[in-house]
Amino acid sequence: MSDVALRNSSSAESEPHRSAPAGGGSRPTTRSALSRGELIAAIILLAPALIFFAVSVIYPLLDTFRLSFFDIKGLAPAKWVGTGNYTKLFADKAFRATIGTTLLFTVAVTILTVGIGWVLAILCSLAPRETRLARIFMFISFGISDAVVGFMWLVIFRPDEAGLLNSILRTIGLGGLQHAWLGDPNTAIWAIIATATWSGVGLPLLICFASVQSIPANVIEAAQIDGARTTSMIRYIMMPLSLPGVRVSVFINLLGALRAFDVIFVMTAGGPVRSTETVGYFMFRESFAQFKLGYGAAATLVLLAAVLVISVPAILERTRGAK
Amino acid sequence: MKRRTLLGMAAVAMLLSTSLATAQDVTGEIKLLTWFGGDELTTLHAAEEAFVALHPGVKFTEVIPTAAGHPAGGLRTVLLGGEPIDLIVNTWPWFRKELADSGLIRPIDEQWTANNWGQYLNDSWKALGQTDGVTYGVQYNFGNRSGWFYRNDSLTKAGVTPPVTWDDFLASIPKFKAAGITPLSLAAKDIGHTEIFATLLVRVGGVEAAQKLAAHEIAWTDPIVKQAMLKFKDLFDAGAFPDSATALGTAWDNAADTTLKSGTTAYLQMFGYAAVYAQQQFGVLPGKDFNITQFPTMGLGHDDTSVVEAKEMLLGKSGQNPAAAEAFLTFLLGKQASDIYAKAGFGVPSSAVDASLFGDVVKQAAGVLSTAKLQFVLADTLPGELSDEFNSQMQKFVQTPTEATIDEVLAGIEAKAQELY
Repeated sequence: MSDVALRNSSSAESEPHRSAPAGGGSRPTTRSALSRGELIAAIILLAPALIFFAVSVIYPLLDTFRLSFFDIKGLAPAKWVGTGNYTKLFADKAFRATIGTTLLFTVAVTILTVGIGWVLAILCSLAPRETRLARIFMFISFGISDAVVGFMWLVIFRPDEAGLLNSILRTIGLGGLQHAWLGDPNTAIWAIIATATWSGVGLPLLICFASVQSIPANVIEAAQIDGARTTSMIRYIMMPLSLPGVRVSVFINLLGALRAFDVIFVMTAGGPVRSTETVGYFMFRESFAQFKLGYGAAATLVLLAAVLVISVPAILERTRGAK
Repeated sequence: MKRRTLLGMAAVAMLLSTSLATAQDVTGEIKLLTWFGGDELTTLHAAEEAFVALHPGVKFTEVIPTAAGHPAGGLRTVLLGGEPIDLIVNTWPWFRKELADSGLIRPIDEQWTANNWGQYLNDSWKALGQTDGVTYGVQYNFGNRSGWFYRNDSLTKAGVTPPVTWDDFLASIPKFKAAGITPLSLAAKDIGHTEIFATLLVRVGGVEAAQKLAAHEIAWTDPIVKQAMLKFKDLFDAGAFPDSATALGTAWDNAADTTLKSGTTAYLQMFGYAAVYAQQQFGVLPGKDFNITQFPTMGLGHDDTSVVEAKEMLLGKSGQNPAAAEAFLTFLLGKQASDIYAKAGFGVPSSAVDASLFGDVVKQAAGVLSTAKLQFVLADTLPGELSDEFNSQMQKFVQTPTEATIDEVLAGIEAKAQELY
């Protein structure tokens, strides 16, 4: 399809008058440029993807929207409640608390993950060859499933003598700092943020590293000839010119953190005292633990709205000017 | 005369055909819905195979939904999808009520009498399978949820013996502390805190109080409930538990590790699977390395009560083979299946079981429970949403175990209960 579109687009540019409508309009369209055969071919080629998209994305989305207007509790018959689930949702103290937790988690994880990834990318780009192995290892953490990461860090944060972090603190003479990290509502969310950061730092590192590497060599060379110090080069050349990579990383991390579920499910199940319950976990609890599918669907759509608020402007910005 | 002969022959033929039909009824497919895995599924398979050996025409098809979160979610999905199911394995009274209210399971009072299931299960076990006075569930294995596991050497190290009374236990706390042992573990990350409260409630108010609370016939702010909470607070005040953050960060398997492996905590109140887990993970042996003692008596008039969990079978209304399913239930309560479960390490409520097959830990529990007034685990008798609130509010109490928190916590649970009942 893209070939067809590209070909027609270029032919329309080179021969605008040929595809212009007889009525004198000057805007050529791709469709008017397609022959009947090409149109059929395009439809046939697109159909599998469109059908798959409709079945796997559009239908579940519409059905979730429909469910959100029903009160469904377990096996009892569904009752139409209109916007009742949404009204109840925003009056629900537990849900309102999850919004705060989600914002804290999302912002903290994004800042830490992208910040650390960006700094590491710049440092690695100063010695790309020597840091190759380190970059590979850091990226591997990104490739491990969130559930596995959760289990690994669960052991690290265990409150008893088997907990790795407390053992290290004890060994180096900082036994007074030992703590039940996941059992204290004040530290549990930060323990999960640390886990998510460790797990996620590989991707921004990779993206930002590529971004720094794409800075034209002559810019760097010119700065070196002018006697710029490394810190100045980082501050005035590498950091500003790698910002496009940072923006992409922020976008990806924001979406990922907003939808976070696996790590929380494995490490704390939203506790203690619901202190680590995000909107994603709330949605799961309501839908699949309590089987309140209508209420859970309403929470899902609120989360979807938050994701769209971030992703739509970002996608529009990234695709602006695309033909 | 000829007519009489013909009528007689017809009657004999009818009787023969009926008995043949009965024999033939115990054939065909039995669809069984469960969420089991591991030992429970293996043992269920063994029971099924033994039944099929007696009835070669029967074939079992297990429907085991994959579901994250509460297993009832997967079971609901199957039932909502319209799958015909003959037998449903269940362990939550609130889920049984949901199934009964939706008309998805059959009442079995008539079958109970017809099949004489009362010869295997006494009235206390029968009552556990009832919802609103109607019998639906046939209990076939159980776990003692009011027992305390302990390592023998932990108690030796502290110089104490298993407590018989509440005061015995309180008196032993300083000895445990002097030996560097936390007296009682508290797996408040999952359900340990609600388990201890459930036993305190039946010991303070009897099984009647727990039943009334589950049905919301008394409020969560009722003095009986508060009294049970105050007893819980007494344990905190006496230093029985680890600090709050440790308790809230401790899952049941961590608690099993500290009690049955390292011995850094003395007692663990947990379901029977803890014993199976300890044997498999650490190679410790019941009786030799670890043992179980019943929750200490409190002298409040209800020391004959115990909390239990039980697995039950329900007859699905959509099932296509009710006769075979019923026959399997009778088999499950009989000696052969009961012995299969006993050999596998499960507690078996049926009187047909050969009790000599029980291990030491199960034997002790079976002995206590045979004369006890039984109550299902409180959290499993509450509607899911309330159970969730109960757990979360009780975590709040563990975080700050004061009388002010007790009032706040009970008011919070009551507010949720008001929404739901």
